[in-house]
Amino acid sequence: MRYIFNFPDIGEGLEEGTILEWYVAKGQAVKAGQALVNMETDKVVTDIPSPKSGTIVAIYGSVGETIRVGSPLVEIEIEGVSGADAVVEAKAPLTVPIDEGGAGVVGTMELAASNALLAASDEGSSKPKAEEKTPSKVLATPLARAMARDLNIDINKLSGTGPSGRVTKEDIQKAVESKSPTVAHKKTETFTQTFSGDEVTYEPLSQIRKAIAKNMLNSKQNTAHMTLFEEVEISELMRIREKLKPKFSDKNTKLTYLPFIVKAIVQALKAHRQLNSQMDMENDRMVFKNRYNIAVAVDTPEGLVVPVIKDADRLSILQIAQKIAELSDKARDRKLSMDDMKDGTFTITNYGSIGGVFATPVINYPQAGILGIGRIVTKPIVKGDQIVVGHVLPLSLSVDHRIVDGGEASRFINQVMEYLSNPVLMLVE
Amino acid sequence: MIFNDFDPKEDKIFRVIDNEGKVINKNLMPDLDDETVIQAYKHMLFFRAADEMAVSYQRQGRMYTYPPCIGHEAIHAAAGMIIRDQDWLAPAFREVGIMLLKGVTMKEIFLYYMGNEEGSNFKKANHVLPISISIGSQYLHATGIGYSVKHQRKDEIVFTSIGDGGTSEGDFSEALNFAGLWKVPVIYTIQNNQYAISVPVRNQTNAVNLAIKSYGFGIPGVKVDGNDFFAMYATYKEATEYARAGKGAVLIEALTYRKGAHTTSDDPTKYRTKEEELEWAKTDPMIRLKKYMDNKGIWKENEEELIEKYKLEVDKQFEEAENMAPYKLEDVFNYMYVDMPDDLKRQKTDYEQFLTWKESKK
Repeated sequence: MRYIFNFPDIGEGLEEGTILEWYVAKGQAVKAGQALVNMETDKVVTDIPSPKSGTIVAIYGSVGETIRVGSPLVEIEIEGVSGADAVVEAKAPLTVPIDEGGAGVVGTMELAASNALLAASDEGSSKPKAEEKTPSKVLATPLARAMARDLNIDINKLSGTGPSGRVTKEDIQKAVESKSPTVAHKKTETFTQTFSGDEVTYEPLSQIRKAIAKNMLNSKQNTAHMTLFEEVEISELMRIREKLKPKFSDKNTKLTYLPFIVKAIVQALKAHRQLNSQMDMENDRMVFKNRYNIAVAVDTPEGLVVPVIKDADRLSILQIAQKIAELSDKARDRKLSMDDMKDGTFTITNYGSIGGVFATPVINYPQAGILGIGRIVTKPIVKGDQIVVGHVLPLSLSVDHRIVDGGEASRFINQVMEYLSNPVLMLVE
Repeated sequence: MIFNDFDPKEDKIFRVIDNEGKVINKNLMPDLDDETVIQAYKHMLFFRAADEMAVSYQRQGRMYTYPPCIGHEAIHAAAGMIIRDQDWLAPAFREVGIMLLKGVTMKEIFLYYMGNEEGSNFKKANHVLPISISIGSQYLHATGIGYSVKHQRKDEIVFTSIGDGGTSEGDFSEALNFAGLWKVPVIYTIQNNQYAISVPVRNQTNAVNLAIKSYGFGIPGVKVDGNDFFAMYATYKEATEYARAGKGAVLIEALTYRKGAHTTSDDPTKYRTKEEELEWAKTDPMIRLKKYMDNKGIWKENEEELIEKYKLEVDKQFEEAENMAPYKLEDVFNYMYVDMPDDLKRQKTDYEQFLTWKESKK
């Protein structure tokens, strides 16, 4: 039998939680009470245990995704009752959270504005109390509240005729009949286009897609993007890489160009701290980072994820290579934890591994810079007075122009290029 | 007498065994046979297993908010083993252990935290009040019951308990003032677990300890190591003898540590350090009692098997609670008063209207 476990309200009126870590994978056997997933909510960070013993047949959401209370977390095939096709849903969540504020220590209490009197002596009296000003939250019967929600009436704008100014069913009915201005039927105007039949396929936004959309828009709206393009000849780097490859494969590590690029960036960042910073206009200051945590964008079937190589300045090229391998494996297996993805100070996006020469990368907000690496192209270049075959790596650097001036961006990329065309320099400096 | 020898004014603490389970106060070691000690440990094992299961059920979305008791086991076991059937218990919400030994079942505790009124209807437990969630009111109830049994000359005494935060409530002082004045047969315990949700004791009072407050009410008080089963047992024994002899009430500060969260809605990592937790972990009441038994070589059970057995029992009781018929609307209004007052009647009518309306929307 299939059992669908919905994310429960574990904290008195929660609406959602974020997945920090999965402990189980599809196909794995679990016992009732065994931890399935580590979730962060407004109230606590906690493990969610399985309510049933069985085999996990589906898990919903990857690390970093937000799951709404009542949405499925996992599906469990329950032992001993297989065969039957019946699907059992977890009992509806114990509560339907309606955020009305006023969460108490052990429960939720109805809050009234301070001037909404609740004098015990007035209980049962039918004389309405004169109100001095409109309270921010009125007293109301549950029925009146539900009706108001249903009819899209702002109950807090009504003055109740019940005891202590309580809004009653009659008050709501009156508000509807009089079509008073408190009845709000406002709809946000949006661009809508209707498609007929099979012209399009609608698909709901996944949590990860939603997060990507939000982050991209946030970056574009809150920074002043500026991108510059460069090409660097890397024949020397290629030779070094070929020479070192066997040494690295002895240590079971594939040596790509990326570790060299990370190293070059870290060293250039040290000389150009604006690129390793963020703008904090709210507090009239700039924030310069003393750590060099290089985020690397990784393409996964679910979408873009950006794990971070922490303290890359303290790692050798071999260690960087190993870290990159570890993080990309985790990304592919959806095993990245929140910790793996936070605290980045500068980002690299290596789209060249798929294709593409130049791009205008979107800054990983609130960082100040992102370097796009294109595909290496073989083409004629001028060396001295001669035309020779060159191996050219295209670079696209986007910076937040609020904090990084054009000159500084150019000087930074020049240094990166210097290191990549003459890698021995990285050892010397 | 413990209450005289360990004067809270000098900030003395009564302790019988140390963290290694060694007896450091032979004179005051309660006279218990091995069988009773083993039984006490088994009770504590059951409390902890039940507690862990309760938190797990809450996390599975099968039960509402729950306040974990982990760390309080020695206090609960000692009080629970001394309280008699005819004695009264006015519990706060972190006292599952004492309640269990008084005859309350885990099924009833679970029903309570599922919002079912049946969870306050303790069928096999004599003289146990419903759990008091509002901080401190149980102290007043205990004083009232104590006054009543004294007036009726009954051989009954009353146990009640409050947290360290609760001592800042007016109820605490009001209850103890009359307790001193009327010499009621009540054992008042403060389970000082260091935190009132996130507020540490040092932000709760300027007094050197909490037991010293007994001076103001004219009753004996003592600060006890609440993670020391033997100290708690000896203290409760002396306290009950004092109360039964008609001498009046006592105040016991049981020093312990809330190992878990305040409730399942609380995250203690936000206000206390790992180092502090590890420091207190050395005083864990179960580890200490276990070490005592091991030193004596009297523990021969397979602990893992026992825990598994207890968990199965707890799970059985949980499923019974979970499969109970849903409670009725009337339950919410019914049990507080013999005759329902008008305003409650009106609220009930309002809610019935709401349900009818909701039904009509389907």
